[in-house]
Amino acid sequence: MIDRPILNVWGAEHRYGTRKVLRGVDLAVRPGEIYALLGPNGAGKSTLVGAICGRFKLTGGEVALDGLDPFVSPLARARLGLAPQEIALYDHMTVRENLEVFGRLSGVTRRDLGASVERALRLTLTSDREHVLVRHLSGGYRRRVNIAAAILHQPRLLILDEPTVGVDIDAREALDAVIRNLRDTGAAVLIVTHDLDQASVLADRVGFLREGRKILEGAPRALIEQAFGQEMEILVQLENEPDIDGQGILAAERLERREGNFWSRFDTSGYRAAAKLDRRLRSLGMTPREIRVRAPSLQNLFSLVADWRRAA
Amino acid sequence: MILAMFRVMALALWRDRGALVMTFLLPPLVFLIFSAVFAGATGEDVKLKLAIADDARTPASRRLADALLRDPDLRAERTVPDAGARVRALVKAGRADAGLIIRADPAASGSPIIVVSDPSRAVAAPLTMARAQQVLARDMPDILLARTLVETAPAVGGFTRRQTAAAAVAMSSLAEGRAVAVGPSLFVREDISGARKGGGAIAYYAGAVSILFALFSAMTGALSLIDERHSGIADRILAGTRGMGPVVTGKFLFLIAQGVVQATAIFATAELIYGVPVLGHIGPWLITTIAASTCSAGLALGIVAFCKTRDQGQMLSTFIILILAAVGGSMVPRFLMPPWLQMAGWATPHAWTIEAYQSILWRDAGLSAVYPAWAVLLAIGLAGLLLAHLATRLVR
Repeated sequence: MIDRPILNVWGAEHRYGTRKVLRGVDLAVRPGEIYALLGPNGAGKSTLVGAICGRFKLTGGEVALDGLDPFVSPLARARLGLAPQEIALYDHMTVRENLEVFGRLSGVTRRDLGASVERALRLTLTSDREHVLVRHLSGGYRRRVNIAAAILHQPRLLILDEPTVGVDIDAREALDAVIRNLRDTGAAVLIVTHDLDQASVLADRVGFLREGRKILEGAPRALIEQAFGQEMEILVQLENEPDIDGQGILAAERLERREGNFWSRFDTSGYRAAAKLDRRLRSLGMTPREIRVRAPSLQNLFSLVADWRRAA
Repeated sequence: MILAMFRVMALALWRDRGALVMTFLLPPLVFLIFSAVFAGATGEDVKLKLAIADDARTPASRRLADALLRDPDLRAERTVPDAGARVRALVKAGRADAGLIIRADPAASGSPIIVVSDPSRAVAAPLTMARAQQVLARDMPDILLARTLVETAPAVGGFTRRQTAAAAVAMSSLAEGRAVAVGPSLFVREDISGARKGGGAIAYYAGAVSILFALFSAMTGALSLIDERHSGIADRILAGTRGMGPVVTGKFLFLIAQGVVQATAIFATAELIYGVPVLGHIGPWLITTIAASTCSAGLALGIVAFCKTRDQGQMLSTFIILILAAVGGSMVPRFLMPPWLQMAGWATPHAWTIEAYQSILWRDAGLSAVYPAWAVLLAIGLAGLLLAHLATRLVR
């Protein structure tokens, strides 16, 4: 049986003055689900999160947390935990002291505070740093404590705003483990991020926002397969910047510029097509520095969808 | 929840040892400096630096110049060269507070003495005149009598030969110090009952520095509201059930406690070093201190809650602290200000606080004299707290 969504957003619309930032967004997040809300700057992600947190009333549409409007109902907001993009902690206090303060501020009773802090430390794998001042923690630990401070009151919906900003690769793996831990407790996790790699690794479902509209939604692998089928991405890095003739050759080979001197195309033949392309380019005097073949990613999907929308 | 925020503020101060020292040691130190600097401004200990020239060069003028040079309440110096032009030059250069030129025989009629003053030290001229009058009366009563006779002779139609002879004998006796024929002084000085010499200015500046630092520290503490907004802490809290209410109230209580501890340090210094009788009035003193700290805490939070950035908050708080301190009498006693500014002073918490402390510690005025100050200070503080709550609700 599929659980009823904890979070429901219906036709969210919002404007600041004459500027429309949300244009009818629907969203539903279920218990035990990690949902990644993706999109470039200005897509409307922060506005949508603000409305979900009850910071303001939408100019159109509705938000419901367990059926309650978070703008009106403190009970709705009690079901919500927010880990902001910034490290929203007191850096002159230890990890435990911070958790005790935010526990009290989020309504945990004095009696339950100890157990609540222990649980948060355990779930975020930060018990070994509980007596360290926040200002002395590494970036990865700070991120995890930032999350710990949002789960003290055991929210049913946890919102993580850009949780990987400033986090190195090793710390990111630990952070991913923490987020999975939280999902496994039955909480719904809404990650708002630019980080498509993290979304594809972690999220059960993703939603792309662009210019205030949700342009795509679904499970990452399913969406990618639906868009690219058996195609693989062939990525070519050239030694030198191609001249006009070279660019003509690349266009004839259906290669499109990505970033810098990287060019790519999608091909169902994968490695065979890459070998053929290598021979062809060398024969034309364009020696590739490197050719890679890789499965399409959410980044590819997002670019593809953005291009479709632009073309439309 | 409120106590949780109180703890955050207390730990922030406790773990920043520099800030801790500045919060609790700097105010007593500044109080000691202020009281040393400004206590003399009451006029009791003023010793003018006076440049003297004797252009008349008569026996009486020499006696007057010498008497002024000997006077322990003046720092008088004869100019070199001994000439009026040099006196004027010294006063203009600021090397003397005032100048005194004896241009004619002091016993003769007219105005034989010129007092040279710089308008930027306007108070020096009347003080010099008063000192010169006192010196004349004390050391040269014969000269005063001679002047009186010269000036009254036309009004009484002249003196008879017998009267003139008697006056000459009297003047001679006075000059030799054998008689005191000049009548009593027009004025008799009476200090207010129970006044303790010098303590008034000390109690004044203890109150003045106390409210100055209470507001200054409260403003600094209240700026953490802006930091919390920018660090995302406010976002986190606003997403919860209680909003920023407990945060604001927790800060308010902490800032009151901080103000009380600061005032305790200042008045303990005042009692230990200057004998200001705080312990003898501990109850009213404590209520006044709590009222002043409440006022500072509320005012600071009310102002800072409406600022968007730390820079805005710092600029605005510096401006407000300086203006209120200047107008309210924390820097210069209000009785020295123009009447309209003295009136304006009642719009500041400083004037009410200083007045309340003065009433309790200096005038023994009784509780009925300080109720209005307590009411005003508490009302300002609670209004500020209310504004801070409203402002933080608006940013939700």
